[in-house]
Amino acid sequence: MWWLRSVFLKTLRDYRVAILGWGIGMGLVVVSPMASVDTLLSTPQAREQLVSLAAQFSWNADVVAVDTIGGYATFKIGIFIFLIAIWPLLAGSRMLRSEEERGSIDVLLSVPRPRARIALEKLAAMWTALLVMGVLIGLLAYVGGQKFGADFSLVDGLIFGLNLALVCAIFGGLALLISQFTREAGPAAGWTGALLLVFIVLDMVRRVIPNDAWISRLSPIYYYNLSKPLIPSYGVNFGAMLFLLALALFLGAAAVWLFVRRDVGGTVPLPRWLQLPERTPNRALPVGDWSLRSVYARGLGMIAMPAMWWTLLIAGWAIWVVVVVQQLGSKLDSLLASSPSAANLIKTLGGGSASLSTGLLSAMLFFLPLFLMAFAVTQVNSWSSDEQDGRLELLLAAPQPRLSVILCRFAALATATIVISLITLLATAVAAAAAGISLDTGDLAAATLGMVPLGLLVAAIGYMGAGWLRSAADTGLLSFLLVAWFFISFIGPELKLPDATLKLSAFYYYGTPLLHGLQAASVVGVIAVAALALGIGALRFARKDIAV
Amino acid sequence: MAAVIEVQGLAKRYGSKRGINDVSFSVDEGEVFGFLGPNGAGKTTTIRILMALIGADSGTARIAGLDCWHQSVAIKKIVGYVPGEPALDPNLTGGQILEFFARLRGGVDQKYLKDLIERFDLDISRKFRQYSTGNKRKVVLIQAFMHRPRLLILDEPTSGLDPLNQHEFDRMVKEVSDEGRTVFLSSHILSEVEKTCTRVGIIRAGSIVRIGGVAEVAAIKRYEMTVTFGSPVPADAFKSLDGVISVEASDEGHTLRLEMQGPADAVVKAAARYPVISLTSHEPSLEDIFLRYYESDVAAKEAEHVVA
Repeated sequence: MWWLRSVFLKTLRDYRVAILGWGIGMGLVVVSPMASVDTLLSTPQAREQLVSLAAQFSWNADVVAVDTIGGYATFKIGIFIFLIAIWPLLAGSRMLRSEEERGSIDVLLSVPRPRARIALEKLAAMWTALLVMGVLIGLLAYVGGQKFGADFSLVDGLIFGLNLALVCAIFGGLALLISQFTREAGPAAGWTGALLLVFIVLDMVRRVIPNDAWISRLSPIYYYNLSKPLIPSYGVNFGAMLFLLALALFLGAAAVWLFVRRDVGGTVPLPRWLQLPERTPNRALPVGDWSLRSVYARGLGMIAMPAMWWTLLIAGWAIWVVVVVQQLGSKLDSLLASSPSAANLIKTLGGGSASLSTGLLSAMLFFLPLFLMAFAVTQVNSWSSDEQDGRLELLLAAPQPRLSVILCRFAALATATIVISLITLLATAVAAAAAGISLDTGDLAAATLGMVPLGLLVAAIGYMGAGWLRSAADTGLLSFLLVAWFFISFIGPELKLPDATLKLSAFYYYGTPLLHGLQAASVVGVIAVAALALGIGALRFARKDIAV
Repeated sequence: MAAVIEVQGLAKRYGSKRGINDVSFSVDEGEVFGFLGPNGAGKTTTIRILMALIGADSGTARIAGLDCWHQSVAIKKIVGYVPGEPALDPNLTGGQILEFFARLRGGVDQKYLKDLIERFDLDISRKFRQYSTGNKRKVVLIQAFMHRPRLLILDEPTSGLDPLNQHEFDRMVKEVSDEGRTVFLSSHILSEVEKTCTRVGIIRAGSIVRIGGVAEVAAIKRYEMTVTFGSPVPADAFKSLDGVISVEASDEGHTLRLEMQGPADAVVKAAARYPVISLTSHEPSLEDIFLRYYESDVAAKEAEHVVA
């Protein structure tokens, strides 16, 4: 097997799914705004309105040639392109530290190769993975650009991907460096994520307060933004790209230098004033801990932290949508009035609203159930991994019926989805009131609480699948189902798909609750299917061999 | 004594792979029963069937007269279990894990639990993922003992424990036994079983090979001696000595390989009559013993066939 010939090849193989997933996924993210440019620029007035509208969002991204395909794509993806930095951030923090946590690095370091070489091979694999991702993104950007009539070349597309790979290599190197100071990979990823946000904000400063531009130079993202290869008239700043390369090399080299000098499993010693106080062994049992009182309470305890982050995302999205719609105001109406096809798209997604702003709000809230369902997928993965990795063995050796165990875990997930929805309802109502948008409370409640049955449906199908499938297959199939549903509902109406096909998507039964409320029959139907799936999953779990 | 565990004709296959086949045995109340076998012999499969984690293809398994699959919840109230590979929530501390299982079981004497923590000198404030292999094993052992179960089912319980803690474990098993409770302990370490158990069952390749008192284990505990001489020696001079089962000469008579059972005194004295260069002795692995069992079993059956 060729991929077992070196640490480099083995690590690169481990990244193969991520390379394809993130590379193609982010490539499509870049291409997607290109599709709407033709519609948005159908008349000179629409072009003018678009440029004016973009200027209002200059804090998000530089407004450069937004009336071209490459310029609009560069502007539109804005800060969202840094979603790709999540992968190198996780990969860098786990590269050595997770292996130390598992103890597998002890065996790896027992082979007659220098420690630095092993670390460098792993680092090189991450850089190669990023480069391949960059090539995929660049190729997709070029193909998309050709399809929609862009004026940038293949080389421009590839340089765009390379620029992205370089900035990602910096965050990967940073995570690897920070992981030399932490005992676990999680805190290293967390610190790097926080720094990513800080750097994004620092880069924004120059757009909001032009006189304070110097502070933006502290952010690597500033140097990334100096090149805009998809806008040929703007061009590429090769000096900035070289700086990104040098910084990535420096961070990687520093991390490897520290790794070679520290104890395996230990951390780089910090100055005394930075060290946490010595932990004294505690022999007291946590008798008052609420999360240990039952399987249900333990389930809640396990789900609490991820649920908090997903609540921030979902409620944050809802608030952002409300603020954006309020900001767009009359400009949106005039833009869409001069571009009937764009207005038609929003009208379709927004449920045929007479008011474009309410229609847009409804269309953008369409993403809420998608996020909640994605949260459910992660929790299904947690459940199936627990079973597959033997973490349920001792729980099932306690006098608890198997049915009780699976139903309690599902109940904890259901509780989390309800709490997320309630908080989203509250946050959206407050944001709408603050922004002066008048929304029907009942319809808003329907839009937010209506997500719950869809979240439960995904979870129940996942729990059912876990009865037969291994964790990766179950999660993969569930993710595919979610993506398929989303595309059927998102682009199905535009493709004039038959009604029978549209009804295959769970989103069909969510409808446009902000405008039309929830359809009782649809809700009952979704809940009935979820109950059936859960019932089958629970019965299967009660009878199956555990962790075989 | 009534049987606490009764297993009859138990079989389990994993697709095309072997699991166990026609396994039958019983364990009496108050016994410390050792379940011996090499890796992959079927020990864990048998134990997981007893714990209703997997279902048998055929046969019956009962604990305290209750069916292991259909009445598993009632059974688990009286059982303490240590799995072969302890896997628990890596983000919980040892203390949280013990508290969680104490609440799930109910009726755990907190004083006894604290006593167990003290005996194993376990720092319960660390997360499970931060524990060494030995400390992970301690957490799992404590949760198995803490509710003073009527029956302990322990799958290779001392794996990863240092000698000091192994000694503590032996004491705990002795206490359980003295209180009339039952222990079912699987191991692939002959000496461990010899030390703690009153009766032993041996499983190999998914089938029970032998069940008997622990004294019988000593009987199968043969060993090998290899003696290298400065000049050739007659192998026949050693064949009839006390403790010698068989002799094999090699290296033109310079080296003798003796299969032994019992004291080596006669062999050492006989060897001393010749110029000895080296003398080594080692216990055969359990696998060797099992192979021997099989060889003798097959030979006996062939002999029976011939006689018949």
